[in-house]
Amino acid sequence: MDQKRLKKDQIGKLYNELVGEYDFYAPINKKGNIAFEKIENPEDIVLDYLNSKIPPKSVLFPQNEVLFEYTLDEKDVEITDRQDLEQKILIFGIRPCDAYSFELFANFFSFHGDWKDDIYLKKKENTTLIGIGCNTPKTTCFCTSVNGNPFKKDNMDVFLTDLGDTYLVEGISDKGKGMVQKLSWLSDASKDDLKKAEELAKIAEESITTKIDVDTVVKNLETCFEHPVWDEISESCIGCGSCAYLCPTCTCFDVIDETDHYNNRGRRIRIWDTCQSCLYTLETSGHNPRDTKIQRCRNRIMHKFSYYPTNYDLLGCVGCGRCVYVCPANNDLRVILDKINKIEEKEDEKVVA
Amino acid sequence: MGIETDNKEIISSIRENAKLLLSENQVDVIIGYSEGTVPLSSTPIIIRKEEDVDKLIWNNLCYINLARYLAPLMPQLCDSEGNSLKIGIVAKGCVGRAVNLLAVEKQIDLDNIKMIGFNCNGIVNRSKIDLEIGEKEILDVSISGDDIIVKGHNWEKKFPYDQYINELCKVCQIKSPSATDANCIGECQELESIHDEFSDIAEFESKSADEKWAYIKDALQVCTLCYSCRQACPMCYCNLCFVDQNMPTWFGKTTQFTDIFTFHLIRAQHLAGRCVACGACSSVCPVGIDLNIITRKLEKIAKERFDYTSGLNAETIPPMMDFKMEDEEEFMLEED
Repeated sequence: MDQKRLKKDQIGKLYNELVGEYDFYAPINKKGNIAFEKIENPEDIVLDYLNSKIPPKSVLFPQNEVLFEYTLDEKDVEITDRQDLEQKILIFGIRPCDAYSFELFANFFSFHGDWKDDIYLKKKENTTLIGIGCNTPKTTCFCTSVNGNPFKKDNMDVFLTDLGDTYLVEGISDKGKGMVQKLSWLSDASKDDLKKAEELAKIAEESITTKIDVDTVVKNLETCFEHPVWDEISESCIGCGSCAYLCPTCTCFDVIDETDHYNNRGRRIRIWDTCQSCLYTLETSGHNPRDTKIQRCRNRIMHKFSYYPTNYDLLGCVGCGRCVYVCPANNDLRVILDKINKIEEKEDEKVVA
Repeated sequence: MGIETDNKEIISSIRENAKLLLSENQVDVIIGYSEGTVPLSSTPIIIRKEEDVDKLIWNNLCYINLARYLAPLMPQLCDSEGNSLKIGIVAKGCVGRAVNLLAVEKQIDLDNIKMIGFNCNGIVNRSKIDLEIGEKEILDVSISGDDIIVKGHNWEKKFPYDQYINELCKVCQIKSPSATDANCIGECQELESIHDEFSDIAEFESKSADEKWAYIKDALQVCTLCYSCRQACPMCYCNLCFVDQNMPTWFGKTTQFTDIFTFHLIRAQHLAGRCVACGACSSVCPVGIDLNIITRKLEKIAKERFDYTSGLNAETIPPMMDFKMEDEEEFMLEED
């Protein structure tokens, strides 16, 4: 049987059993912000969180990551590649929207197989996801409009459902089923447990009331690149990077070299970038095709709702709502998408008038 | 009674004045605040037509300093030739200070700006409330009498308003713009000087150097370098910030503590004596870092040494931009 139950006070036991084999990442409360960090003490793990402030992309695609290190002498450069990519990683307590974001990452980091980012892909291959359903989605959540669901299990290896005093544990992928079987001390789930989990999933799905007509967004974006709506959409934006940094699907990065001239060595690092930065797409000539916030805000929306569907046949948004509630200027994505959806209506009105 | 009633009066005066400015063609646009779509927020808005003035609001969550949109001037506030429109700006005291200082620093032309002044009654400390509520979704925030009422699904919590506003707001002496009737409509005051006790930073000042260091280190451990503090600051208007300079690169941009600390430290130094004490940097931080005590401390030093308070008028040059022969230099190290 693939369905088991884990008592809430057994999280420590689970941790102790798995931490030898895996780098164990889980949500913790860091000064009021939920973030995924490597766990030292299982008591730090927080599973009854709404959604993490910092998305778990930070585990596999950290804000800064050394790609390789090098030493130089007069003639040669010696490169040392990463040695830690075989390490197994476990991301525990990830939400379905964030797990789904890794599916988008897989496309970005392998670009139709034409080019492969070995560092990311290797780490992802060695990663196991133990996810948890969202019993109480936030009002800013809209995963059901973007192919998601608060209990979507597809991208997980193991899936947990919070039943109150226990978690229902389900092996989803072969890797996950194997892991659940190995945890032989888990007791079998009852029929009632399964029924309760189904009910919770139904309630959660129904509680998501924000509905966005994404098909129309995608369609309208094809023709509205020069539309004045972007002036309005970017009006309140202050040009910070919080929407992009806290977005589980934003993958843009910058590459920098840190050189230690005195010791003839250095390292190449990739760091998160954001299309809202004035340096983003700044060309060597000094020209920047996106030099105002109107163009930068447009890029953010186009990337997620037009370029992603065109390039990968997937939406670049998982509906987690983080950008909605972290935006300092409250430039709400739901309102932005609504404005894009209404573009044609407005033009029809003009014709009538 | 209380804050709620004050806000109603402020809103009607803002709308009335905005309508007047637009109807008399004194301005082309008004920049103000509108209702937020999520609790504990508000959205800056540009109003172009008289009939839209009812979208303007004031509540104690209007934490963005609107002067931030004036320099660099955003494209939406320019005509088709790129020249500044005539702008009306809804101005609490610290917006007024920023407008004055931007004029002193020659970033804006006051002839194009008309302030709609009012007496600000403080800004709610969002992160303090967020922190106390924890992992429960806030569905509604309102003010009733003198309480902030925070509601969620099947729960409600009251916060006394006077305790849950920004520390800066508790000691604020400049609640309405320091301006003349010529560039301000509504509440304003002409200020020569103010008496500020800086009691909001007394606790921080009383710490030892080691304790201060520990405090700053602790506060910055969650910083993601999203630069929202810089972007929200009305006085951070450089075309290219020092951290963004990459030919050559002066500062690291990783999330190692040295890089994070260097950014915050140098940003604070650039604001020495120029901070207008609006607290926007703290209010906008997505991870709740509150470090404006550093710029406040620098503001205090500028006051003690040079009797200078930023933004009281549009003429006085900030001490770090000025030179006077009679400046005392007792802090210079003497040669043995």
